[in-house]
Amino acid sequence: MLWILTLIVILIISLIIVIKSADIFVDRIVEVGGALGISEIILGVTASAIGTSLPEFGSAMMAAIFNSPDLGVGVVIGSNIWNIAGILGISAVFAGTIRSSLKGLTRDGTFTLLTALILMGFMYFTGGVNAWSSLVFIVMYGIYLWILIRDQKKEANDKKTDETPSRGTTEISYRPKEKKKITPSIVAWCLVGLAGLIIGCRLLIYSGEELATIAGIPLMIMGLFTLAIGTSIPELVVTFNSARKGLHDLSIGTVLGSNTFNIMIGLGIPALIMEIPTEQISLIFDAPVMIFVIILLLLLIKRGMKLTRIDGLILLITYITYSVIRIAILG
Amino acid sequence: MVYKKILVTSMGEFLDQITDETMELIADWETDVLGVYVVETSTPFLTPKKVEEMMITELTSRGKQVLDEMEKKFQAPNIHFTKILKEGDPADEIVNIAEEEGVDLLVMGTGKSIVDKHLLGSVSEKVVHSSPCTILLIRTVKE
Repeated sequence: MLWILTLIVILIISLIIVIKSADIFVDRIVEVGGALGISEIILGVTASAIGTSLPEFGSAMMAAIFNSPDLGVGVVIGSNIWNIAGILGISAVFAGTIRSSLKGLTRDGTFTLLTALILMGFMYFTGGVNAWSSLVFIVMYGIYLWILIRDQKKEANDKKTDETPSRGTTEISYRPKEKKKITPSIVAWCLVGLAGLIIGCRLLIYSGEELATIAGIPLMIMGLFTLAIGTSIPELVVTFNSARKGLHDLSIGTVLGSNTFNIMIGLGIPALIMEIPTEQISLIFDAPVMIFVIILLLLLIKRGMKLTRIDGLILLITYITYSVIRIAILG
Repeated sequence: MVYKKILVTSMGEFLDQITDETMELIADWETDVLGVYVVETSTPFLTPKKVEEMMITELTSRGKQVLDEMEKKFQAPNIHFTKILKEGDPADEIVNIAEEEGVDLLVMGTGKSIVDKHLLGSVSEKVVHSSPCTILLIRTVKE
């Protein structure tokens, strides 16, 4: 009993370490990128795209390195289902309304659905994700990032054109932007973040495996639920908070962007190291559910270009139903 | 009662309703109007720093748009309009500005449903309890 409690504490602490380390790492990498002259838009888009998803990636990577690919696949598919049905469901219920722009929904929604369909295709035809499929994913993610950066640049240019000189008295708190250099401290923090990410993910996978063994839970279930929900905490806080503050595009964009990253990079990079096999149950149940919730989300939003509180409840009920069937019936 | 200095605040929603009612109240009197938008900076633990910065940038940009809209609405010879954009807790900052600027009327919208009030909280309710001046709460209605 004491060992189980210790493992649960290790799991929680390792989750916090992973999430904070990912944050420190991304933050310092952006500073390094800025000092190297990479444009702010490119850095901003990349940082926000990968920032919330590094925990899933790190866990999938560690799971592959330490021969538990089931856990990695579980984390990725479980996170993707939880992100849409759980996180967007909760956020819509609390915020009341989450609006979406047609452009954002078309771009991110299409990529999310396409990625999930391609993953299912690979699972069906090649029995998992191998090095060739991972190359396809990485190239596709490159294209997705390029489109994101292009759209962001266009948006920034449009904003500049729209700005008209102010006639009233203005009192605005500007945030000074200082050009930074790559200092030893930045490099050191970068390494601290990376080390924290590696150690945290290793501890997370270890505690997850041990708990699953002791409790007699299949590794896949551990990945699909405990680790998937745990590593998605950054998505939860960002999506929920941005929905509450009315930053609707950020709210839906975080979830869809994270789902695309989870598959293309979260499974794509580990598959370069070792082939990630697929369990039959994932092919016939988890992956189809993942595709179903994406289509459900797109249909719900399409009706009025927004998610309402009722839509949020529908998503949450879908997640609860999936969890019950997956854990209690299919095991 | 003539109000000489009025603080008008909005997060962007129901701006027309709020400004129209304030204009009716001002009529032809010489009035200083302070348009206030507060960028809410609080974020939960474990929010990635870069995303937090992005949120503040987005909200600041929206705040500027709201204040520009307000400025257009309050264009009148008898009105001197001042834009104020601040970062912090909306209710605290609104009360602080009202105190510092010696405002004699504070105008803001209200009208969230009971469910929204419980789930999201209400800035107007917090301001009501600590406002240093008279408050005009405009009942806003979703179309």
